[in-house]
Amino acid sequence: MIVRGLAGIALAAGALATLSLYRETLGVPISVLALLTTMLFWTTQATSWNILSGYSGYFSFGQAAYVGVGAYTTAVLFGRHQVDFGLTVLVAAGLCAVLGLGIGVLAFRLRSLRGEIFALLTLAVPFILAALARINGAIDGGQGVVVGIPAFPAAIGRFQDFLYLVNLVVAGLAVAVAFVMANSRSGWALAAIRDAEDVGEALGVATFRYKLVALVASAVIGGVGGSIFALQIGFVTVDSVFTLTVPLFVIVMSVLGGRTHWFGPVLGAVLVVLLQDRLTAADLGGWQLVVLGAVLIVAVLVAPEGIYARLRALLPARRHAVPGSDVDIAVPAAGTDRVLVECDELCRNFGGVRAVRDLSLRIHAGELVGLVGPNGSGKTTLVNLLAGSLRPTGGSVRIAGQDTRTLAPHRIAHVGVARTYQIPRPFASMTVRDNVAVAVMFGRVPRNLTEARRIAAGHLAMVGLAGHADAFPAALNLHQRQLLEIARALATAPTLLLLDEALAGLNPAEIDDAVGVIRRIHAAGVSIVIVEHLLRVVKAVATRVVVLDRGSCLADGDPATVLTDPAVVRAYLGKRAHA
Amino acid sequence: MLEVRDLDAYYGGARALWSVSLDVAAGETVSIIGPNGAGKSTIVAAVARLHRNVRGRVAVDGVDVLSLPPHRICDRGVAIVPEGRRVFGHMSVRDNLFLGAYRRLARAGHRETLAEVYALFPRLAARSAQPAGRLSGGEQQMLAIGRALMARPRLLLLDEPSLGLAPIVIDEVFEAITTINARGVSVLLVEQDIDRALEISARGYLLTEGRIIAEGPASTLRDRDDVRRSVLGI
Amino acid sequence: MITVQSALTGLLLGGLYALMAAGVSITWGVLRIINLAHFGLILLSAYLTVLLASAWGMDPILTVVITGPAMFVAGGALQWAYDRLGISELNSLLVSFGLLIMTVQVVSNIFSADFRRMSAEVNPYATASVATGRLVFPVTTLLAFLIAVAVIGAAHLVLRGTFPGRALRAFAEDRGIAGAFGIDHRTLGTLLGAVSGATAAVAGMLFALANALTPAVAFEWFGIVFAVVILGGIGHLLGTLAAGLLVGALTGVVSVLLSPAAAPLVLFGAIVVVLLLRPRGLFVRTASSATVDAVVRSAGRPAQRDGRS
Repeated sequence: MIVRGLAGIALAAGALATLSLYRETLGVPISVLALLTTMLFWTTQATSWNILSGYSGYFSFGQAAYVGVGAYTTAVLFGRHQVDFGLTVLVAAGLCAVLGLGIGVLAFRLRSLRGEIFALLTLAVPFILAALARINGAIDGGQGVVVGIPAFPAAIGRFQDFLYLVNLVVAGLAVAVAFVMANSRSGWALAAIRDAEDVGEALGVATFRYKLVALVASAVIGGVGGSIFALQIGFVTVDSVFTLTVPLFVIVMSVLGGRTHWFGPVLGAVLVVLLQDRLTAADLGGWQLVVLGAVLIVAVLVAPEGIYARLRALLPARRHAVPGSDVDIAVPAAGTDRVLVECDELCRNFGGVRAVRDLSLRIHAGELVGLVGPNGSGKTTLVNLLAGSLRPTGGSVRIAGQDTRTLAPHRIAHVGVARTYQIPRPFASMTVRDNVAVAVMFGRVPRNLTEARRIAAGHLAMVGLAGHADAFPAALNLHQRQLLEIARALATAPTLLLLDEALAGLNPAEIDDAVGVIRRIHAAGVSIVIVEHLLRVVKAVATRVVVLDRGSCLADGDPATVLTDPAVVRAYLGKRAHA
Repeated sequence: MLEVRDLDAYYGGARALWSVSLDVAAGETVSIIGPNGAGKSTIVAAVARLHRNVRGRVAVDGVDVLSLPPHRICDRGVAIVPEGRRVFGHMSVRDNLFLGAYRRLARAGHRETLAEVYALFPRLAARSAQPAGRLSGGEQQMLAIGRALMARPRLLLLDEPSLGLAPIVIDEVFEAITTINARGVSVLLVEQDIDRALEISARGYLLTEGRIIAEGPASTLRDRDDVRRSVLGI
Repeated sequence: MITVQSALTGLLLGGLYALMAAGVSITWGVLRIINLAHFGLILLSAYLTVLLASAWGMDPILTVVITGPAMFVAGGALQWAYDRLGISELNSLLVSFGLLIMTVQVVSNIFSADFRRMSAEVNPYATASVATGRLVFPVTTLLAFLIAVAVIGAAHLVLRGTFPGRALRAFAEDRGIAGAFGIDHRTLGTLLGAVSGATAAVAGMLFALANALTPAVAFEWFGIVFAVVILGGIGHLLGTLAAGLLVGALTGVVSVLLSPAAAPLVLFGAIVVVLLLRPRGLFVRTASSATVDAVVRSAGRPAQRDGRS
């Protein structure tokens, strides 16, 4: 599939190249070539933006930083110091890679980073760089830099032909990179980040690394594009490259075209440049930005998924015939008395409220622990502490012998902990099968997509969702979504599965069905902690029950004894209750 | 006072209530009991217009409230003490209370009401300048009740007031509810602690899996074994 | 001495940054709308001030009588539209970015992209200054500082001690419960947007008093104002004021000690450090349980299911 796609991109680029190589034979006017050059430049930039912002959902307003760094690298090295042009392009790529790495390491390390803060941080970068360029005489010093025409083979024809071909090569490479990323592990990781970042992280996706890779790829492509842009404009000034119209253009193009797909920005760039050209032709050049601003607003409000997504939705859905396989859930054979979870004096406070207090707990491999207690007794907080979604205020947690307090959630997933959420949180842009396949791909043993899809089919069969593999989560009912949560958690090949109210809101028949699923998973050797309100369910499946009350352990033992313990009944029913 | 007829509620595709009907008479305390996940809170949230994906009829003093804009519900004399308290943690205790008296009707006498709330919960008076987020769970519960009282309600909706509290604090909270009811405020109480709830109620409804399966005088419900078993979910 | 002078001048200028930032910060904090169009309103007001003072001979300060109500209406209308369209936080950034670009271009098309400044006859404040000892302060800078502090201080008092103010703070924390206590978000949000618009009018007037205008200056405000918003803590007025003063003083000192162009480097360096160490803002007390509660709720406590028991 990747080879076919790349061949297609190369073919399209080759076809476009003939327009210049046989310009005179074909009778292509030079003005058309100039227009196409502009389209290609913006295709490169929009694609660069889309690799990070479209794929991962972290909108950047800093595209001008890469254009500026690229343009000034070439302007200074080639324009002023006559360094070989090709070399300056490489230097530009290197500088932008460093810049991207710097931004990424700083921004994505922020624990509190939200999309909006990232957008504003990236907005600041071009301002800083513009200030640097303006004061530094070696770069610009406020005068601007003249960029001459490099030597190019005479066979190419005019300078405009050369510009066109260089832009074509760069745009082709940019689109190829975007295509390959979209169809590789990175693409799936970024899509998971866009749909539900913390869920992806908890399933084992190393989100930091993939965001960083996307950011650096985006920066390099943007910088190379900026480098040849310097040739195109011939005179580089701070205002011509570090301008806010750059992010405006790339955002409009990608949002308009469709930002979840590699082709969206290409389509958007072509449309926007055409529009721009028509406006100029109609002598409305001064209103260009007004029109583009309006296009952005309308696109965001009316079709935030973009034109390309709309078009694709019209086509009949493609179905992948994936052979299902009866996979064993890969679990290391469990010695039953091996201690899997060790909590000692675990505490978690929220302001004045102590949700978990001095809790000590051992869970052995092979157990199915029912975690029960009245509302507000700290069950979900405990699950969050075990899964690493929350850090303890005090005490320690060890899982499979590892101290998990300081591990990133995706490392905890690789230790063998998986969880489900009370409110199912599927990846909305992926089919049911791919929801599970992503979890397989990024599990302890990395797998490729084909393998992952095959294994996913087995997990879906396990929970009884095989018939819905090609559906999107939006089409599932609550019960099916909860089963999908379970299948996805299972796909990480956990040794410990945390089920947080996985049966909430189900009708009795669905509950019986889900209980069967849980039994099958347990029988396959996975240790399970299940938080559940329905005591009859707990009684039916659990090998051991732990009762929490106001953050502490009230009772712990086999279900029949614990659930008739007067203290437990009192905690549930009230002060005078007796069994 | 409150009349709920054939109320259905949905969460996305999942249905939470099946044709629930119940009444609260003026000056009465009524409990809704049942296991976790039965949909008790949904009833209260529907009456307070916090949960809007509902069908059916909810009338307060004969006026249908489901057609009102959500922010007009407190003008009908209804105030809620939500599950998990949901006090405004960054605001001071006093400002939380003042907020309860936001609507014009309650604003007129809000200083007097404030004095009444402080008399009922002296601990709030002592901590009036503190941010609500720094209070203990019990104090936050008192604040949530106080905030609702500031709206001068005729019907008070209480959702799991005992949640996560120590028994001695629960006693205090329930005493306050009795006092409030004695002053003529109707109370609709959702509670997991069935003994405490039914002790202060005149009547009760038992809800399981979104349906009311029993109702009657509180004293009768308390002694029924099947009710206990349903609430335990076994 | 020159360092003290520029630190103090910077501090005074910081008041104006704070005033520009206040409207952005409060609509972001309370309504979850990042309104970049606010800069468009400031720009429009600044140009209207120049226009009214030059063409009609109005005292430039008094032009607020006209621009104030105009921006009040514009800001309110904008907020009303955001609310009606149900715009998310990220989309508000995109939509208002579009609006800002449109505004700047329209201003540029109407007034040209060249610098414009009120002449000395129509703007008597521009040349006056006040001296204390060896320190000299332009009247415009002092005015900007005093008015900015007065406006932000008044807004702070309103937010603390009035029913609509408390309603806004409550709304920022928990929309559902605020609604259950009778807070109508559309009316209140529109009002807040309108008041923010009016502060934009004041900020625009104050800027026009002391500076020459070009349409692109709106983009220059961008960086510094967002620095103030983030340093001050989103939605915190006093924090915004303090951050404005700090940023102003810092810029002043760095400009003298290093170079004016080094100021953005230091400033954004400071932002990154603050985001790393105190992500909720420099002057905001550490998280109280309510915010943590919100985190827990989003991590899936029962309360999140709209209170389903």
